[in-house]
Amino acid sequence: MRPDQRSSISRRTLLKTGTGAAIASAAAPYVFSRSARAQASSVRVLVVEDPFFFALKEVVSDFEAETGIAVELESLGYDALQARLVSSFVAQTSDADVITVDQMWSGQYTDNGWITPVDKFARGDSELDINDFIPQVLYSQNLWRGQLVTLPIAAYAQGVMYRADLFDQFGISAPPTATDESWTWEAYMEVLNALSGKEASGGRPLFPTVVCGAQPAPVVHMFTQLSGSLGARWFKQFPEAPWDFEPQIDSPEWVQALETYKALYKLSPPEAINYTWFDAGTRYSQGDVGMFWWWTPYFYLIKNNGYMTGTPSEIIDSYRVAALPKAPGVPQTISIGGWSLGIPSSSANQEAGYRFVRWATSAATQKKMALVPNYNYQFSDFARKSLYADEEVKAIYPFLDVQFDLMSQGNGKVTRPPMPSYAALEGVLGLQLNRALSDDADAAATLADTRLLFTNILQGNFMLPYQLESYDDTFANAEATIASIAG
Amino acid sequence: MPSDIAVAAAARRVKPARARVGVLPYALLLPSVLLLGTLIAYPLAFALTNSFRFWNLAVSPEPMMGVGFDNYAMILDSPDFLRALLNTVMLTVAGTAVEFALGFAIALVLSSALPGMSAARALLILPTTIAPIVVGFLYRYMYDPSGGLAVFILHTIGLPPPAEGLLGSANTALISVLFADVWQWTPFVAIILYAGLLSVPQEVLEAARLDGASRWTMVWRIKLPLIRQTALIVVMLRFMQLFNTFDLVLVLTRGGPGTATRTLGYSLYELGMVQYNIGMASAMTWIIVILVNIFIGIFFYIAFKGREL
Repeated sequence: MRPDQRSSISRRTLLKTGTGAAIASAAAPYVFSRSARAQASSVRVLVVEDPFFFALKEVVSDFEAETGIAVELESLGYDALQARLVSSFVAQTSDADVITVDQMWSGQYTDNGWITPVDKFARGDSELDINDFIPQVLYSQNLWRGQLVTLPIAAYAQGVMYRADLFDQFGISAPPTATDESWTWEAYMEVLNALSGKEASGGRPLFPTVVCGAQPAPVVHMFTQLSGSLGARWFKQFPEAPWDFEPQIDSPEWVQALETYKALYKLSPPEAINYTWFDAGTRYSQGDVGMFWWWTPYFYLIKNNGYMTGTPSEIIDSYRVAALPKAPGVPQTISIGGWSLGIPSSSANQEAGYRFVRWATSAATQKKMALVPNYNYQFSDFARKSLYADEEVKAIYPFLDVQFDLMSQGNGKVTRPPMPSYAALEGVLGLQLNRALSDDADAAATLADTRLLFTNILQGNFMLPYQLESYDDTFANAEATIASIAG
Repeated sequence: MPSDIAVAAAARRVKPARARVGVLPYALLLPSVLLLGTLIAYPLAFALTNSFRFWNLAVSPEPMMGVGFDNYAMILDSPDFLRALLNTVMLTVAGTAVEFALGFAIALVLSSALPGMSAARALLILPTTIAPIVVGFLYRYMYDPSGGLAVFILHTIGLPPPAEGLLGSANTALISVLFADVWQWTPFVAIILYAGLLSVPQEVLEAARLDGASRWTMVWRIKLPLIRQTALIVVMLRFMQLFNTFDLVLVLTRGGPGTATRTLGYSLYELGMVQYNIGMASAMTWIIVILVNIFIGIFFYIAFKGREL
């Protein structure tokens, strides 16, 4: 290349670059305004792949037709969703306009400023009809420090499923459908013992029950329903103010819960040590288990012979649902779980995001989701009271009266406290429980070790002693907050 | 004969030419160095900085304070760390050894002139192309106590699995995780070793044959030594990958039962992506980096002692 050529190309390049930059500068406002308009005409929704997602995706076109806002709906598994959300929050990138938030994440997401509380949109919004939500669900899943941070799209309680045909066959009385002082954990164990040594259809051995054993979350989810029902509390004082996170994990109620859970494991299929949420439910639908308790979505999921298969299980006509047992003289506490929709602070499209949240959590949309016939009708996780009284819905989901009664006794803040270090504590408790089951370890010793580990974590995370401002997170205060939002 | 002055002058004339030649390679290497620096050194330096901080996303979105070596001390003091290290070393050493042995045997078969080897080569690559998470789910079904293929085979050959299932018993869970990894990665080892075998000169093999060398002698005394460097590289790769195993553990056992299958990689995942403890996860990252480098250093020292790389 000759020097004069090099010089000529350089000038041309310079001119090209300069012209390009000038055009880009002139066009920038136009381009950005187009981009903003494009954003306003669509919302990106990132949800977990729980049963509600499969119903939601069937009706989401209705939202697009009603509002003209296109929906980019994406689903992920639990672990992947958690990882992606936290990564995008830390990197401060706008990954979605609407996200699903586990109730255990809502406090952390709000305190860190990762989500914008829907409180500011909901106040004065007559279309929201906030009084239709079950207050125990909002209290457990959606309220944090007196603010409505998210809205529930799927709410779960825990209840009992049993085989009516086997109960009849072996002369066992059906458990009650509403909480009853006579339906205690001792009575529950007696029923299981009566089922012990019996045969299921086809000459298979009948397992009286099935538990979840996999660590960390599955075993904790099932176990904490038992412990909560026995009156166990995680901390010295939470959610009532002033917060004191001194662990109570080795109290007599916890020890009794672990001893009972170990006894339940001995009445379960041995491989339940490795069972996650749907493993336990799927096992029950196979027909060789008598009775168990689990999250209320399994009231309908066990109609299928596998998780969301759409093929009827062999127990589809023979199982019934019942109230959860309780401890004598102790007010019943039902674990509330589920998923909510929230709006990331990084979203530039929050108004449209809220419109989607309000639409997806509305009674009308939830009913449409319930009526989707796919997979033998797979959605009745309502957070709205009106749907539990809807005859058309009840005809498909005949267990809704029992489910509503369970929801009404819910308190997710006691059974699995959504405080900032919960995930670390759940990891430790899950491992300890799994180890206690697999090694048949002593319950009191296991929980004494757990208390030490809890204390280390809480002290390391500056939660013990708690130095920040507490909030008196009682159900009464939650009701007052809901009333103030309703106006 | 040139004078000393003339020689010195000639040498000075040469120097600028050498300098010009010397700059060019560095200039050509610069983009790669910058790229590597950005993609490898920066994240490691970032992790190193964070490993000395208290940064827990459950408590604060930003790092809160410097804590010296506290994060390292807490990890090393943890009762589960030694178990995770032991599991990791067992998985890594056993996995590398089994995959190498099987991979080498398969490579020998592939390099033979048996019919169907082309199809076999194509099929062999398939497991390697599957994501480990998918392999995990596949094996979860294979190990299912109520009808999994592996369970059926074990019953058929008179080796009934434990009542808790292969993944539910502390005696078999780690082996079951290992087996899934062996299934996926042995073909990779085989393909690499097969490529190495192809480079063995036919004249050498022919000469050995003429000298009356047996098949075993040819494998152990000629083929294996001639592909030594390829073999060592593939062993090193698998060692490093196995040391960081977490996805199979996540899907198959989540570290259980108890801590029977907990690995350092899984502990790291739990610290960072479940507990959000960035400070401790960073410290764990560096502990793993140091351990892997120590192991690899020892490996290199033994394997390449007295040889040029």
